[in-house]
Amino acid sequence: MPAPIQASNDRYPGEAGVEVANITKSFGPDEARVTVLNGVSLTIRKGEFVSLIGPSGCGKSTLLKVVAGLSEADGGKVSINGKSVREASREKAIGLVPQSPALLPWRTILDNVSLPISINPNANAGRKLRDPKEILTSFGLGKAIDRYPAQLSGGMQQRAAIARAFVFDPEILLMDEPFSALDEMNRDQQRMGLLDFWQSNQKSVLFVTHSVPEAIILSDRIVLMAAHPGRIAEIIDVDLPRPRNEALYATDAFRDLEGYVRNALRKVMEAAHV
Amino acid sequence: MSSSIAAEAAPKAKTSSPMARMAGDWLPPAVTFVIVAVLWQVVALNNPYVLPTLESVGNSMASDPHMYWANMLVTCQEIVIGAGAGILFGFLLAVAMSELPIIEKAMMPLIVVIMVTPVVAIAPALVVAFGFGMLPKYIVTGLVVFFPMLVNSLAGLRDVDQKALDVFKTLHASRWETFRDLRLPGCMPFVFAGLRIAMPLAVVGAAVAEFVAAGQQAGLGSLVTISAAQADLPVTWASIALLCLLGVVLVSLLALLRKRVLWWSDADVIGR
Repeated sequence: MPAPIQASNDRYPGEAGVEVANITKSFGPDEARVTVLNGVSLTIRKGEFVSLIGPSGCGKSTLLKVVAGLSEADGGKVSINGKSVREASREKAIGLVPQSPALLPWRTILDNVSLPISINPNANAGRKLRDPKEILTSFGLGKAIDRYPAQLSGGMQQRAAIARAFVFDPEILLMDEPFSALDEMNRDQQRMGLLDFWQSNQKSVLFVTHSVPEAIILSDRIVLMAAHPGRIAEIIDVDLPRPRNEALYATDAFRDLEGYVRNALRKVMEAAHV
Repeated sequence: MSSSIAAEAAPKAKTSSPMARMAGDWLPPAVTFVIVAVLWQVVALNNPYVLPTLESVGNSMASDPHMYWANMLVTCQEIVIGAGAGILFGFLLAVAMSELPIIEKAMMPLIVVIMVTPVVAIAPALVVAFGFGMLPKYIVTGLVVFFPMLVNSLAGLRDVDQKALDVFKTLHASRWETFRDLRLPGCMPFVFAGLRIAMPLAVVGAAVAEFVAAGQQAGLGSLVTISAAQADLPVTWASIALLCLLGVVLVSLLALLRKRVLWWSDADVIGR
């Protein structure tokens, strides 16, 4: 087993935000037990955007679930700003953006985005709650606040779901392929929306994705995972200047990095087939 | 993109005028009713001991409206109290079962046993136990609607959007918050599906309760049995018509209520 890889990153020298240490997790009955995560260690610094990318079955969604407290690891430890996942959840420190928007169809967009403020109100003390209307406006949904989810396009629903995760000022945002259900044009638009918003509200983000360009344009670091058993194969620094915008796609630096990540991904997938 | 914000009213077929559209909705069923009425009259006029003529049924209602009204109120009372209690209890038990699986484990077998026992068979025993008052009738009516309410509500409470549930979990939502903000509103489409089944059954239940747990000899069901025994066909059929009307009114009220409560679950109502 390779030693845990810890890439250096000097851009965020502050204390560690999320510390994932030696997580193991397996599923299934004893005779057909599948190791989904095999000694995964990772640090997400405060304000850092980290993407998880890798072939299906590499455990990237499982890792996200473990950090979210939705799935229990067999071994290892996750700490969020020094707290256990359970404590962090009690303090509403975790913002989740699931794969589908999962908005409540009987609530307006405004009421959906206000939900995390009204839930578990004890944890609201001493935090910088945002004004739901304001955050919706900055996501370009200012005119839609009184609409119901079914009245919005899929892209707008997903943006509302992201606003819902930012509104209560969590310490870490976990996003599980939030744009995977959208068509390509819509996806790129939402990506840029998230990039803009995040660059002016830098929060720790763990972002699961299948898309190499998406990972590059958004992230500070890309964590490349390999499957069978799920593990970290490589951590790639994205040393592209911020603030970024669409123009970055056309630069040589972006293309070089894209080529490098794709190549690394191919190697990981070929190794799995041998 | 911004154009998709504006909810366009679902465009209906605009080829015909409103009048013509209304005629299109009403005319076919009206024709069916007219044909049935004509056939009825033909049979009634030739076989007076099989069916009463429609005008004799109408005359019977017009000649003694207070008698029909009083009996209808009794049946309504059985439906409101009996079915109301059955619906409420079915729903509350579903909530208890979905929150505490041990309750479902403990009670489901007993409930299935009760449900496969014919209500008609239990009724006389209930009369023996509870006397000739209204209570056995409430129980019979309640039993009939209880099961569809329980099963549908339980299915609804279980049919939670898992991704939304994940969001609630990461927020450390309490059980009560999850129930109030997610499970309860989310189960309403199923609850209304249960009510849609329960409403006609409530009328059946009340009528059957009067048949088998006779006692006070009041209500439209009792009126049917008594008049049929006396071969007073106009009264029999007038009572049947009123039972039928009761069912139609209940189902229509339910549809109205559903529109108010569940507008969000009908995508075509709010438009896309």
